[in-house]
Amino acid sequence: MNARSRSPRFLLHVTAALVLAFLMLPILAVVPASFSEARFIRLPPDAYTLDWYGAFLSDRDWRAAFLTSLHVAIAVTVFSVVLGTAAALGLRRVPGHAGAMLLALFVSPLIVPVIVTAVAVYRTALDIHLNSTFLGVVFSHSLIALPFVIVNVGISLRGVSDDWLKAAAGLGAHPLTVFRTVTLPAVMPGVTGGAVFAFITSFDEITISLFITGAQTKTLPVKIWEDIRLEFTPVVAVAATLLIALALLLFLGIALVNRLYGRRAA
Amino acid sequence: MCRDTVGLGGRQGRGIGATRGLGVPRVPRRQVVASFALLAPAVVFLVLWFVVPLARLSVLAFSGEGGVAAALETLLTSAAYRRVFLNTVQISAVVTVLCVALAFPVALVLSRLRGIWFNVVLYCVLFPFWVSLLVRTFSWMLLLERNGPVNQVLMALGVTDQPLRLLFNDFSVVVGMTHVLLPYAVLPLFARMRAIDGRLLMASDGLGASVLDTLRFIYLPLVMPGLLGAAAIVFLLALGFFVTPALLGGASSLTVSTLISDFVSQRLAWSLAAGASLILLVFVLALLALSRRVIALGAGAAAR
Repeated sequence: MNARSRSPRFLLHVTAALVLAFLMLPILAVVPASFSEARFIRLPPDAYTLDWYGAFLSDRDWRAAFLTSLHVAIAVTVFSVVLGTAAALGLRRVPGHAGAMLLALFVSPLIVPVIVTAVAVYRTALDIHLNSTFLGVVFSHSLIALPFVIVNVGISLRGVSDDWLKAAAGLGAHPLTVFRTVTLPAVMPGVTGGAVFAFITSFDEITISLFITGAQTKTLPVKIWEDIRLEFTPVVAVAATLLIALALLLFLGIALVNRLYGRRAA
Repeated sequence: MCRDTVGLGGRQGRGIGATRGLGVPRVPRRQVVASFALLAPAVVFLVLWFVVPLARLSVLAFSGEGGVAAALETLLTSAAYRRVFLNTVQISAVVTVLCVALAFPVALVLSRLRGIWFNVVLYCVLFPFWVSLLVRTFSWMLLLERNGPVNQVLMALGVTDQPLRLLFNDFSVVVGMTHVLLPYAVLPLFARMRAIDGRLLMASDGLGASVLDTLRFIYLPLVMPGLLGAAAIVFLLALGFFVTPALLGGASSLTVSTLISDFVSQRLAWSLAAGASLILLVFVLALLALSRRVIALGAGAAAR
Protein backbone atom coordinates (compact mmCIF):
# COMPACT_ATOMS: atom_id res chain seq x y z
CA MET A 1 0.00 0.00 0.00
CA ASN A 2 1.25 3.44 -0.82
CA ALA A 3 1.27 6.43 1.47
CA ARG A 4 -1.81 7.89 -0.17
CA SER A 5 -4.08 5.14 1.00
CA ARG A 6 -2.63 4.72 4.46
CA SER A 7 -4.63 7.37 6.23
CA PRO A 8 -8.07 6.36 4.87
CA ARG A 9 -7.20 2.83 5.83
CA PHE A 10 -6.36 3.86 9.37
CA LEU A 11 -9.60 5.82 9.56
CA LEU A 12 -11.50 2.79 8.29
CA HIS A 13 -10.08 0.54 10.97
CA VAL A 14 -10.81 3.04 13.74
CA THR A 15 -14.40 3.44 12.51
CA ALA A 16 -14.88 -0.33 12.32
CA ALA A 17 -13.46 -0.74 15.83
CA LEU A 18 -15.84 1.93 17.17
CA VAL A 19 -18.82 0.25 15.50
CA LEU A 20 -17.79 -3.11 16.95
CA ALA A 21 -17.55 -1.49 20.38
CA PHE A 22 -21.07 -0.12 19.86
CA LEU A 23 -22.14 -3.66 19.01
CA MET A 24 -20.48 -5.46 21.92
CA LEU A 25 -20.24 -3.12 24.91
CA PRO A 26 -23.92 -2.31 25.45
CA ILE A 27 -24.68 -6.05 25.61
CA LEU A 28 -22.33 -6.35 28.55
CA ALA A 29 -23.76 -3.40 30.48
CA VAL A 30 -26.09 -5.66 32.46
CA VAL A 31 -23.21 -7.76 33.78
CA PRO A 32 -21.82 -5.15 36.24
CA ALA A 33 -25.41 -4.19 37.06
CA SER A 34 -25.99 -7.70 38.41
CA PHE A 35 -23.16 -7.20 40.93
CA SER A 36 -24.34 -3.76 42.00
CA GLU A 37 -24.76 -3.42 45.75
CA ALA A 38 -27.50 -0.79 45.61
CA ARG A 39 -31.15 -1.78 45.79
CA PHE A 40 -31.75 -0.10 42.44
CA ILE A 41 -29.38 -0.42 39.55
CA ARG A 42 -26.78 2.28 39.21
CA LEU A 43 -24.21 2.11 36.45
CA PRO A 44 -21.35 1.98 37.16
CA PRO A 45 -22.08 0.43 40.59
CA ASP A 46 -20.63 2.09 43.72
CA ALA A 47 -19.93 -1.23 45.38
CA TYR A 48 -20.09 -4.85 44.34
CA THR A 49 -21.83 -7.87 45.83
CA LEU A 50 -22.91 -11.39 44.93
CA ASP A 51 -26.08 -11.10 47.04
CA TRP A 52 -28.43 -10.74 44.09
CA TYR A 53 -27.34 -14.09 42.71
CA GLY A 54 -28.36 -15.64 46.02
CA ALA A 55 -31.62 -13.70 45.89
CA PHE A 56 -32.27 -14.98 42.38
CA LEU A 57 -31.64 -18.59 43.33
CA SER A 58 -33.76 -18.46 46.47
CA ASP A 59 -36.71 -16.69 44.87
CA ARG A 60 -39.45 -19.18 44.04
CA ASP A 61 -40.84 -17.21 41.09
CA TRP A 62 -37.48 -16.79 39.39
CA ARG A 63 -36.61 -20.43 39.93
CA ALA A 64 -39.95 -21.55 38.54
CA ALA A 65 -39.56 -19.32 35.48
CA PHE A 66 -36.06 -20.62 34.86
CA LEU A 67 -37.20 -24.24 35.13
CA THR A 68 -40.19 -23.63 32.86
CA SER A 69 -37.89 -22.12 30.25
CA LEU A 70 -35.56 -25.08 30.54
CA HIS A 71 -38.33 -27.65 30.16
CA VAL A 72 -39.93 -25.80 27.27
CA ALA A 73 -36.58 -25.37 25.49
CA ILE A 74 -35.74 -29.07 25.82
CA ALA A 75 -39.17 -30.11 24.50
CA VAL A 76 -38.90 -27.60 21.63
CA THR A 77 -35.42 -28.89 20.76
CA VAL A 78 -36.55 -32.52 20.61
CA PHE A 79 -39.73 -31.71 18.70
CA SER A 80 -38.14 -29.45 16.11
CA VAL A 81 -35.03 -31.60 15.63
CA VAL A 82 -37.18 -34.67 14.87
CA LEU A 83 -39.58 -32.83 12.57
CA GLY A 84 -36.90 -30.62 11.03
CA THR A 85 -34.37 -33.36 10.30
CA ALA A 86 -37.06 -35.52 8.72
CA ALA A 87 -38.30 -32.58 6.66
CA ALA A 88 -34.78 -31.68 5.47
CA LEU A 89 -34.19 -35.29 4.41
CA GLY A 90 -37.51 -35.37 2.58
CA LEU A 91 -36.95 -31.98 0.98
CA ARG A 92 -33.82 -33.29 -0.70
CA ARG A 93 -35.89 -35.57 -2.93
CA VAL A 94 -38.39 -32.90 -3.96
CA PRO A 95 -37.15 -31.25 -7.16
CA GLY A 96 -37.55 -27.74 -8.53
CA HIS A 97 -40.58 -25.61 -7.94
CA ALA A 98 -42.32 -27.83 -5.39
CA GLY A 99 -39.13 -28.01 -3.32
CA ALA A 100 -38.73 -24.23 -3.40
CA MET A 101 -42.35 -23.78 -2.33
CA LEU A 102 -41.93 -26.17 0.58
CA LEU A 103 -38.73 -24.44 1.71
CA ALA A 104 -40.58 -21.10 1.53
CA LEU A 105 -43.30 -22.55 3.76
CA PHE A 106 -40.71 -23.81 6.24
CA VAL A 107 -38.86 -20.51 6.59
CA SER A 108 -41.98 -18.31 6.46
CA PRO A 109 -42.26 -18.09 10.28
CA LEU A 110 -38.99 -16.11 10.14
CA ILE A 111 -40.38 -13.72 7.51
CA VAL A 112 -43.82 -13.02 8.91
CA PRO A 113 -43.47 -10.31 11.60
CA VAL A 114 -43.36 -12.15 14.90
CA ILE A 115 -46.07 -9.98 16.46
CA VAL A 116 -48.45 -11.11 13.70
CA THR A 117 -47.56 -14.76 14.36
CA ALA A 118 -47.97 -14.16 18.08
CA VAL A 119 -51.45 -12.66 17.79
CA ALA A 120 -52.58 -15.29 15.25
CA VAL A 121 -51.34 -18.23 17.30
CA TYR A 122 -52.68 -16.73 20.54
CA ARG A 123 -56.14 -16.34 19.05
CA THR A 124 -56.29 -19.92 17.77
CA ALA A 125 -54.81 -21.24 21.03
CA LEU A 126 -57.51 -19.36 22.95
CA ASP A 127 -60.22 -20.91 20.78
CA ILE A 128 -58.99 -24.46 21.31
CA HIS A 129 -57.95 -23.89 24.94
CA LEU A 130 -54.25 -24.48 24.38
CA ASN A 131 -53.19 -21.03 25.60
CA SER A 132 -51.24 -21.01 28.88
CA THR A 133 -50.51 -24.72 28.41
CA PHE A 134 -47.08 -26.30 28.16
CA LEU A 135 -48.01 -27.85 24.80
CA GLY A 136 -49.18 -24.51 23.41
CA VAL A 137 -45.92 -22.80 24.40
CA VAL A 138 -43.83 -25.66 22.96
CA PHE A 139 -45.73 -25.60 19.64
CA SER A 140 -45.40 -21.83 19.38
CA HIS A 141 -41.66 -21.79 20.05
CA SER A 142 -41.20 -24.68 17.62
CA LEU A 143 -42.60 -22.53 14.82
CA ILE A 144 -39.52 -20.32 14.86
CA ALA A 145 -37.08 -23.05 15.96
CA LEU A 146 -37.99 -25.41 13.11
CA PRO A 147 -36.59 -23.26 10.24
CA PHE A 148 -33.15 -23.21 11.90
CA VAL A 149 -33.07 -27.01 12.08
CA ILE A 150 -34.28 -27.48 8.49
CA VAL A 151 -31.79 -24.97 7.09
CA ASN A 152 -28.85 -26.31 9.12
CA VAL A 153 -29.52 -29.95 8.29
CA GLY A 154 -30.16 -28.96 4.67
CA ILE A 155 -26.74 -27.32 4.47
CA SER A 156 -24.93 -30.39 5.77
CA LEU A 157 -26.98 -32.61 3.44
CA ARG A 158 -25.44 -30.78 0.51
CA GLY A 159 -22.20 -32.52 1.46
CA VAL A 160 -23.80 -35.96 1.09
CA SER A 161 -23.35 -37.23 -2.44
CA ASP A 162 -26.09 -39.39 -3.96
CA ASP A 163 -23.30 -41.63 -5.21
CA TRP A 164 -22.37 -42.58 -1.63
CA LEU A 165 -25.93 -43.66 -0.95
CA LYS A 166 -26.06 -45.59 -4.25
CA ALA A 167 -22.70 -47.18 -3.50
CA ALA A 168 -23.85 -48.28 -0.06
CA ALA A 169 -27.15 -49.57 -1.45
CA GLY A 170 -25.37 -51.22 -4.38
CA LEU A 171 -23.13 -53.05 -1.94
CA GLY A 172 -26.24 -54.53 -0.43
CA ALA A 173 -26.87 -52.29 2.58
CA HIS A 174 -30.40 -52.04 3.90
CA PRO A 175 -31.88 -48.51 3.50
CA LEU A 176 -31.90 -48.10 7.28
CA THR A 177 -28.27 -49.19 7.47
CA VAL A 178 -27.41 -46.66 4.75
CA PHE A 179 -29.18 -44.00 6.77
CA ARG A 180 -27.44 -44.95 10.02
CA THR A 181 -23.93 -45.39 8.63
CA VAL A 182 -23.77 -42.84 5.78
CA THR A 183 -26.46 -40.15 5.98
CA LEU A 184 -26.68 -39.66 9.73
CA PRO A 185 -22.95 -39.17 10.43
CA ALA A 186 -22.77 -36.71 7.53
CA VAL A 187 -25.68 -34.57 8.78
CA MET A 188 -24.69 -34.69 12.46
CA PRO A 189 -23.02 -31.24 12.39
CA GLY A 190 -26.24 -29.80 10.94
CA VAL A 191 -28.40 -31.60 13.48
CA THR A 192 -26.21 -30.44 16.35
CA GLY A 193 -26.17 -26.86 15.12
CA GLY A 194 -29.91 -26.94 14.53
CA ALA A 195 -30.52 -28.37 17.99
CA VAL A 196 -28.47 -25.65 19.68
CA PHE A 197 -30.22 -22.94 17.64
CA ALA A 198 -33.61 -24.43 18.50
CA PHE A 199 -32.75 -24.52 22.19
CA ILE A 200 -31.53 -20.92 22.44
CA THR A 201 -34.37 -19.67 20.20
CA SER A 202 -36.89 -21.18 22.58
CA PHE A 203 -35.03 -20.14 25.72
CA ASP A 204 -34.92 -16.50 24.57
CA GLU A 205 -38.32 -16.27 22.87
CA ILE A 206 -40.36 -13.40 24.24
CA THR A 207 -42.93 -11.99 21.79
CA ILE A 208 -45.12 -15.07 21.30
CA SER A 209 -44.52 -16.09 24.91
CA LEU A 210 -45.93 -12.78 26.19
CA PHE A 211 -49.30 -13.75 24.74
CA ILE A 212 -49.41 -17.50 25.05
CA THR A 213 -47.85 -18.24 28.45
CA GLY A 214 -49.91 -18.26 31.61
CA ALA A 215 -49.29 -18.21 35.36
CA GLN A 216 -48.22 -21.87 35.34
CA THR A 217 -46.11 -21.60 32.19
CA LYS A 218 -44.35 -18.27 32.70
CA THR A 219 -40.93 -18.44 31.03
CA LEU A 220 -37.80 -16.60 32.18
CA PRO A 221 -37.98 -13.89 29.46
CA VAL A 222 -41.62 -13.18 30.33
CA LYS A 223 -40.70 -12.81 34.01
CA ILE A 224 -37.84 -10.47 33.05
CA TRP A 225 -40.23 -8.47 30.85
CA GLU A 226 -42.78 -8.06 33.65
CA ASP A 227 -40.11 -6.99 36.13
CA ILE A 228 -38.34 -4.41 33.97
CA ARG A 229 -41.64 -2.74 33.20
CA LEU A 230 -41.93 -2.03 36.94
CA GLU A 231 -38.42 -1.27 38.19
CA PHE A 232 -34.78 -2.04 37.47
CA THR A 233 -33.65 -4.29 40.30
CA PRO A 234 -30.31 -6.06 40.25
CA VAL A 235 -32.14 -9.42 40.37
CA VAL A 236 -33.39 -8.79 36.82
CA ALA A 237 -29.81 -8.03 35.83
CA VAL A 238 -28.82 -11.40 37.33
CA ALA A 239 -31.41 -13.14 35.12
CA ALA A 240 -30.17 -11.19 32.10
CA THR A 241 -26.55 -12.01 32.91
CA LEU A 242 -27.43 -15.70 33.11
CA LEU A 243 -28.98 -15.47 29.64
CA ILE A 244 -25.78 -13.86 28.33
CA ALA A 245 -23.68 -16.59 29.98
CA LEU A 246 -25.87 -19.24 28.36
CA ALA A 247 -25.51 -17.53 24.97
CA LEU A 248 -21.73 -17.35 25.37
CA LEU A 249 -21.53 -21.00 26.38
CA LEU A 250 -23.57 -22.21 23.40
CA PHE A 251 -21.82 -19.82 21.00
CA LEU A 252 -18.36 -21.03 22.00
CA GLY A 253 -19.58 -24.62 22.04
CA ILE A 254 -20.80 -24.34 18.46
CA ALA A 255 -17.60 -22.60 17.37
CA LEU A 256 -15.62 -25.47 18.91
CA VAL A 257 -17.81 -28.17 17.33
CA ASN A 258 -17.50 -26.50 13.91
CA ARG A 259 -13.75 -26.37 14.32
CA LEU A 260 -13.56 -30.06 15.22
CA TYR A 261 -15.80 -31.13 12.33
CA GLY A 262 -13.90 -28.81 10.02
CA ARG A 263 -10.62 -30.46 11.03
CA ARG A 264 -12.00 -33.91 10.42
CA ALA A 265 -13.36 -32.92 7.02
CA ALA A 266 -10.00 -31.43 6.11
CA MET B 1 -21.25 -43.05 -19.58
CA CYS B 2 -23.06 -43.51 -22.88
CA ARG B 3 -20.53 -45.97 -24.08
CA ASP B 4 -20.94 -47.96 -20.88
CA THR B 5 -24.68 -48.28 -21.31
CA VAL B 6 -24.26 -49.24 -24.94
CA GLY B 7 -21.67 -51.74 -23.84
CA LEU B 8 -24.20 -53.24 -21.47
CA GLY B 9 -26.44 -53.57 -24.46
CA GLY B 10 -30.09 -54.37 -24.61
CA ARG B 11 -33.20 -52.38 -23.88
CA GLN B 12 -32.27 -51.55 -20.33
CA GLY B 13 -29.23 -49.55 -21.41
CA ARG B 14 -31.18 -47.55 -23.93
CA GLY B 15 -33.91 -46.96 -21.35
CA ILE B 16 -31.46 -45.32 -18.95
CA GLY B 17 -30.00 -43.25 -21.76
CA ALA B 18 -33.45 -42.06 -22.77
CA THR B 19 -34.48 -40.86 -19.32
CA ARG B 20 -31.18 -39.10 -18.88
CA GLY B 21 -31.62 -37.42 -22.24
CA LEU B 22 -34.91 -35.94 -21.11
CA GLY B 23 -33.19 -34.48 -18.09
CA VAL B 24 -35.74 -35.94 -15.70
CA PRO B 25 -34.11 -37.94 -12.93
CA ARG B 26 -36.04 -41.14 -12.40
CA VAL B 27 -37.12 -41.25 -8.78
CA PRO B 28 -38.24 -44.66 -7.61
CA ARG B 29 -41.78 -44.75 -6.31
CA ARG B 30 -40.60 -45.95 -2.92
CA GLN B 31 -38.46 -42.85 -2.55
CA VAL B 32 -41.37 -40.57 -3.40
CA VAL B 33 -43.44 -42.22 -0.68
CA ALA B 34 -40.50 -41.99 1.74
CA SER B 35 -39.89 -38.27 1.17
CA PHE B 36 -43.61 -37.62 1.46
CA ALA B 37 -43.65 -39.41 4.81
CA LEU B 38 -40.58 -37.48 5.96
CA LEU B 39 -42.07 -34.10 5.02
CA ALA B 40 -45.59 -34.75 6.27
CA PRO B 41 -45.13 -34.15 10.03
CA ALA B 42 -43.45 -30.74 9.59
CA VAL B 43 -45.93 -29.65 6.91
CA VAL B 44 -48.94 -30.75 8.95
CA PHE B 45 -47.56 -28.99 12.03
CA LEU B 46 -46.90 -25.73 10.15
CA VAL B 47 -50.32 -25.79 8.50
CA LEU B 48 -52.14 -26.41 11.79
CA TRP B 49 -50.13 -24.07 14.03
CA PHE B 50 -49.14 -21.34 11.57
CA VAL B 51 -51.07 -21.24 8.27
CA VAL B 52 -54.51 -21.90 9.76
CA PRO B 53 -54.05 -19.39 12.64
CA LEU B 54 -52.89 -16.73 10.15
CA ALA B 55 -55.87 -17.45 7.90
CA ARG B 56 -58.25 -17.29 10.86
CA LEU B 57 -56.73 -13.99 11.96
CA SER B 58 -57.15 -12.60 8.44
CA VAL B 59 -60.81 -13.60 8.47
CA LEU B 60 -61.16 -11.85 11.83
CA ALA B 61 -60.07 -8.60 10.17
CA PHE B 62 -63.30 -8.64 8.16
CA SER B 63 -65.64 -9.56 10.98
CA GLY B 64 -65.83 -6.28 12.87
CA GLU B 65 -69.06 -4.94 14.31
CA GLY B 66 -69.51 -2.20 11.73
CA GLY B 67 -69.44 -4.45 8.66
CA VAL B 68 -66.95 -6.36 6.54
CA ALA B 69 -64.46 -3.58 5.90
CA ALA B 70 -65.06 -1.63 9.11
CA ALA B 71 -61.78 -2.50 10.84
CA LEU B 72 -59.61 -1.79 7.81
CA GLU B 73 -61.51 1.42 7.14
CA THR B 74 -60.99 2.64 10.71
CA LEU B 75 -57.28 1.82 10.56
CA LEU B 76 -56.67 3.46 7.19
CA THR B 77 -58.78 6.59 7.63
CA SER B 78 -58.19 7.57 11.26
CA ALA B 79 -55.49 10.21 11.58
CA ALA B 80 -54.18 8.66 14.81
CA TYR B 81 -53.59 5.25 13.21
CA ARG B 82 -52.15 6.79 10.07
CA ARG B 83 -49.64 8.55 12.28
CA VAL B 84 -48.65 5.21 13.80
CA PHE B 85 -48.08 3.67 10.35
CA LEU B 86 -46.10 6.71 9.26
CA ASN B 87 -44.05 6.66 12.47
CA THR B 88 -43.23 2.97 11.90
CA VAL B 89 -42.03 3.60 8.35
CA GLN B 90 -40.03 6.65 9.46
CA ILE B 91 -38.29 4.84 12.31
CA SER B 92 -37.58 1.84 10.07
CA ALA B 93 -36.11 4.10 7.38
CA VAL B 94 -33.82 5.92 9.82
CA VAL B 95 -32.71 2.62 11.38
CA THR B 96 -32.03 1.19 7.90
CA VAL B 97 -29.83 4.12 6.90
CA LEU B 98 -27.93 3.99 10.20
CA CYS B 99 -27.45 0.22 10.04
CA VAL B 100 -26.14 0.22 6.48
CA ALA B 101 -23.83 3.18 7.19
CA LEU B 102 -22.42 1.56 10.34
CA ALA B 103 -22.21 -1.90 8.78
CA PHE B 104 -20.23 -0.68 5.78
CA PRO B 105 -16.86 -0.12 7.49
CA VAL B 106 -17.18 -3.30 9.54
CA ALA B 107 -18.02 -5.43 6.49
CA LEU B 108 -15.22 -3.77 4.52
CA VAL B 109 -12.63 -4.50 7.20
CA LEU B 110 -13.99 -8.01 7.65
CA SER B 111 -13.75 -8.74 3.92
CA ARG B 112 -10.02 -7.91 3.95
CA LEU B 113 -9.02 -9.58 7.21
CA ARG B 114 -7.52 -13.05 7.42
CA GLY B 115 -6.62 -15.40 10.24
CA ILE B 116 -7.26 -14.72 13.88
CA TRP B 117 -8.44 -11.12 13.46
CA PHE B 118 -10.99 -12.24 10.91
CA ASN B 119 -12.40 -14.66 13.48
CA VAL B 120 -12.38 -12.04 16.24
CA VAL B 121 -14.33 -9.53 14.16
CA LEU B 122 -16.69 -12.17 12.78
CA TYR B 123 -17.44 -13.44 16.29
CA CYS B 124 -18.14 -9.88 17.42
CA VAL B 125 -20.71 -9.61 14.63
CA LEU B 126 -22.25 -13.04 15.21
CA PHE B 127 -22.30 -13.13 19.02
CA PRO B 128 -25.13 -10.58 19.44
CA PHE B 129 -27.41 -12.95 17.47
CA TRP B 130 -27.07 -15.39 20.35
CA VAL B 131 -27.88 -12.95 23.11
CA SER B 132 -31.53 -12.59 23.98
CA LEU B 133 -33.18 -9.65 22.26
CA LEU B 134 -34.78 -8.79 25.57
CA VAL B 135 -31.40 -8.60 27.32
CA ARG B 136 -29.93 -6.35 24.62
CA THR B 137 -32.92 -4.04 24.92
CA PHE B 138 -32.74 -4.06 28.72
CA SER B 139 -29.10 -2.99 28.47
CA TRP B 140 -30.14 0.12 26.59
CA MET B 141 -32.73 0.91 29.25
CA LEU B 142 -29.92 0.93 31.82
CA LEU B 143 -27.54 2.91 29.61
CA LEU B 144 -30.00 5.62 28.59
CA GLU B 145 -31.61 6.04 31.99
CA ARG B 146 -31.86 9.46 33.59
CA ASN B 147 -28.85 8.75 35.82
CA GLY B 148 -27.34 6.22 33.43
CA PRO B 149 -23.81 6.16 32.01
CA VAL B 150 -24.66 8.00 28.80
CA ASN B 151 -26.10 10.95 30.69
CA GLN B 152 -23.14 10.87 33.10
CA VAL B 153 -20.71 11.09 30.20
CA LEU B 154 -22.68 13.86 28.51
CA MET B 155 -22.70 15.88 31.75
CA ALA B 156 -19.02 15.24 32.43
CA LEU B 157 -18.22 16.48 28.93
CA GLY B 158 -20.30 19.57 29.57
CA VAL B 159 -22.69 18.84 26.71
CA THR B 160 -25.59 19.36 29.07
CA ASP B 161 -26.16 20.68 32.60
CA GLN B 162 -28.92 18.35 33.60
CA PRO B 163 -29.67 14.78 32.50
CA LEU B 164 -31.33 14.53 29.09
CA ARG B 165 -34.48 12.55 28.60
CA LEU B 166 -33.01 9.81 26.41
CA LEU B 167 -35.41 7.00 27.19
CA PHE B 168 -38.98 6.21 26.10
CA ASN B 169 -38.99 8.22 22.89
CA ASP B 170 -38.16 7.78 19.20
CA PHE B 171 -34.47 8.37 19.95
CA SER B 172 -34.14 5.36 22.24
CA VAL B 173 -36.17 3.21 19.84
CA VAL B 174 -33.87 4.13 16.95
CA VAL B 175 -30.71 3.51 18.99
CA GLY B 176 -31.93 0.18 20.32
CA MET B 177 -33.18 -1.06 16.96
CA THR B 178 -30.01 0.00 15.17
CA HIS B 179 -27.99 -1.92 17.73
CA VAL B 180 -30.10 -5.06 17.36
CA LEU B 181 -30.38 -4.99 13.56
CA LEU B 182 -26.78 -4.01 12.75
CA PRO B 183 -25.46 -7.60 12.40
CA TYR B 184 -28.18 -8.32 9.83
CA ALA B 185 -26.72 -5.54 7.68
CA VAL B 186 -23.08 -6.60 8.12
CA LEU B 187 -23.50 -10.16 6.84
CA PRO B 188 -24.98 -9.55 3.34
CA LEU B 189 -22.57 -6.63 2.81
CA PHE B 190 -19.64 -8.78 3.86
CA ALA B 191 -20.71 -11.65 1.58
CA ARG B 192 -20.89 -9.28 -1.38
CA MET B 193 -17.59 -7.55 -0.59
CA ARG B 194 -15.76 -10.83 -0.24
CA ALA B 195 -16.90 -11.83 -3.73
CA ILE B 196 -15.35 -8.74 -5.32
CA ASP B 197 -12.11 -9.31 -7.19
CA GLY B 198 -9.48 -7.20 -5.43
CA ARG B 199 -7.48 -6.89 -8.65
CA LEU B 200 -10.13 -4.53 -10.03
CA LEU B 201 -9.32 -2.07 -7.23
CA MET B 202 -5.60 -2.52 -7.70
CA ALA B 203 -6.03 -1.86 -11.42
CA SER B 204 -7.92 1.33 -10.70
CA ASP B 205 -5.27 2.36 -8.16
CA GLY B 206 -2.47 1.48 -10.57
CA LEU B 207 -4.06 3.55 -13.34
CA GLY B 208 -3.83 6.58 -11.08
CA ALA B 209 -7.34 6.93 -9.68
CA SER B 210 -7.58 8.42 -6.21
CA VAL B 211 -8.86 6.29 -3.36
CA LEU B 212 -12.17 8.15 -3.38
CA ASP B 213 -12.57 7.75 -7.14
CA THR B 214 -11.86 4.03 -6.91
CA LEU B 215 -14.41 3.80 -4.13
CA ARG B 216 -17.02 5.75 -6.05
CA PHE B 217 -16.66 4.40 -9.56
CA ILE B 218 -15.44 0.85 -9.01
CA TYR B 219 -16.19 -0.34 -5.50
CA LEU B 220 -19.61 1.14 -4.77
CA PRO B 221 -21.28 -0.11 -7.98
CA LEU B 222 -19.89 -3.58 -7.29
CA VAL B 223 -21.09 -3.52 -3.68
CA MET B 224 -24.52 -2.10 -4.56
CA PRO B 225 -26.42 -5.45 -4.56
CA GLY B 226 -25.08 -6.22 -1.08
CA LEU B 227 -25.97 -2.73 0.06
CA LEU B 228 -29.53 -3.05 -1.24
CA GLY B 229 -29.83 -6.53 0.24
CA ALA B 230 -28.69 -5.30 3.64
CA ALA B 231 -31.06 -2.33 3.50
CA ALA B 232 -33.99 -4.55 2.46
CA ILE B 233 -33.43 -7.05 5.26
CA VAL B 234 -33.05 -4.38 7.94
CA PHE B 235 -36.07 -2.40 6.73
CA LEU B 236 -38.29 -5.49 6.60
CA LEU B 237 -37.25 -6.62 10.08
CA ALA B 238 -37.59 -3.09 11.45
CA LEU B 239 -41.18 -2.73 10.20
CA GLY B 240 -42.41 -5.66 12.27
CA PHE B 241 -40.11 -5.15 15.26
CA PHE B 242 -41.85 -5.51 18.58
CA VAL B 243 -39.69 -5.97 21.68
CA THR B 244 -37.45 -2.92 21.32
CA PRO B 245 -40.16 -0.36 20.46
CA ALA B 246 -42.39 -1.81 23.18
CA LEU B 247 -39.75 -1.39 25.89
CA LEU B 248 -37.80 1.66 24.72
CA GLY B 249 -40.65 3.59 23.10
CA GLY B 250 -42.90 6.08 24.81
CA ALA B 251 -46.61 6.66 24.55
CA SER B 252 -46.04 8.99 21.60
CA SER B 253 -43.83 6.62 19.65
CA LEU B 254 -46.21 3.78 18.93
CA THR B 255 -45.34 1.49 16.05
CA VAL B 256 -47.62 -0.88 14.18
CA SER B 257 -46.42 -3.85 16.22
CA THR B 258 -46.95 -2.17 19.59
CA LEU B 259 -50.35 -0.97 18.34
CA ILE B 260 -51.32 -4.56 17.46
CA SER B 261 -50.23 -5.69 20.91
CA ASP B 262 -52.26 -2.90 22.54
CA PHE B 263 -55.35 -3.84 20.56
CA VAL B 264 -55.14 -7.39 21.86
CA SER B 265 -53.99 -7.01 25.44
CA GLN B 266 -55.38 -3.61 26.44
CA ARG B 267 -58.52 -3.18 24.38
CA LEU B 268 -59.49 -6.70 23.29
CA ALA B 269 -60.19 -5.17 19.89
CA TRP B 270 -59.60 -8.32 17.88
CA SER B 271 -60.83 -7.14 14.50
CA LEU B 272 -58.61 -4.03 14.71
CA ALA B 273 -55.64 -6.18 15.79
CA ALA B 274 -56.33 -8.55 12.92
CA GLY B 275 -56.73 -5.67 10.48
CA ALA B 276 -53.47 -4.03 11.53
CA SER B 277 -51.71 -7.43 11.36
CA LEU B 278 -53.06 -7.98 7.86
CA ILE B 279 -51.90 -4.53 6.71
CA LEU B 280 -48.43 -5.10 8.19
CA LEU B 281 -48.20 -8.59 6.68
CA VAL B 282 -49.29 -7.50 3.20
CA PHE B 283 -46.89 -4.54 3.33
CA VAL B 284 -43.96 -6.75 4.38
CA LEU B 285 -44.70 -9.42 1.74
CA ALA B 286 -45.10 -6.80 -1.00
CA LEU B 287 -41.79 -5.19 -0.02
CA LEU B 288 -40.15 -8.61 0.06
CA ALA B 289 -41.31 -9.37 -3.47
CA LEU B 290 -40.22 -5.91 -4.61
CA SER B 291 -36.83 -6.04 -2.89
CA ARG B 292 -36.04 -9.42 -4.40
CA ARG B 293 -36.52 -7.86 -7.82
CA VAL B 294 -34.42 -4.81 -6.89
CA ILE B 295 -31.62 -6.98 -5.52
CA ALA B 296 -31.75 -9.21 -8.60
CA LEU B 297 -31.63 -6.14 -10.85
CA GLY B 298 -28.71 -4.75 -8.86
CA ALA B 299 -26.86 -8.03 -9.17
CA GLY B 300 -27.57 -8.06 -12.90
CA ALA B 301 -26.27 -4.52 -13.32
CA ALA B 302 -23.13 -5.32 -11.35
CA ALA B 303 -22.51 -8.44 -13.41
CA ARG B 304 -22.60 -6.30 -16.53
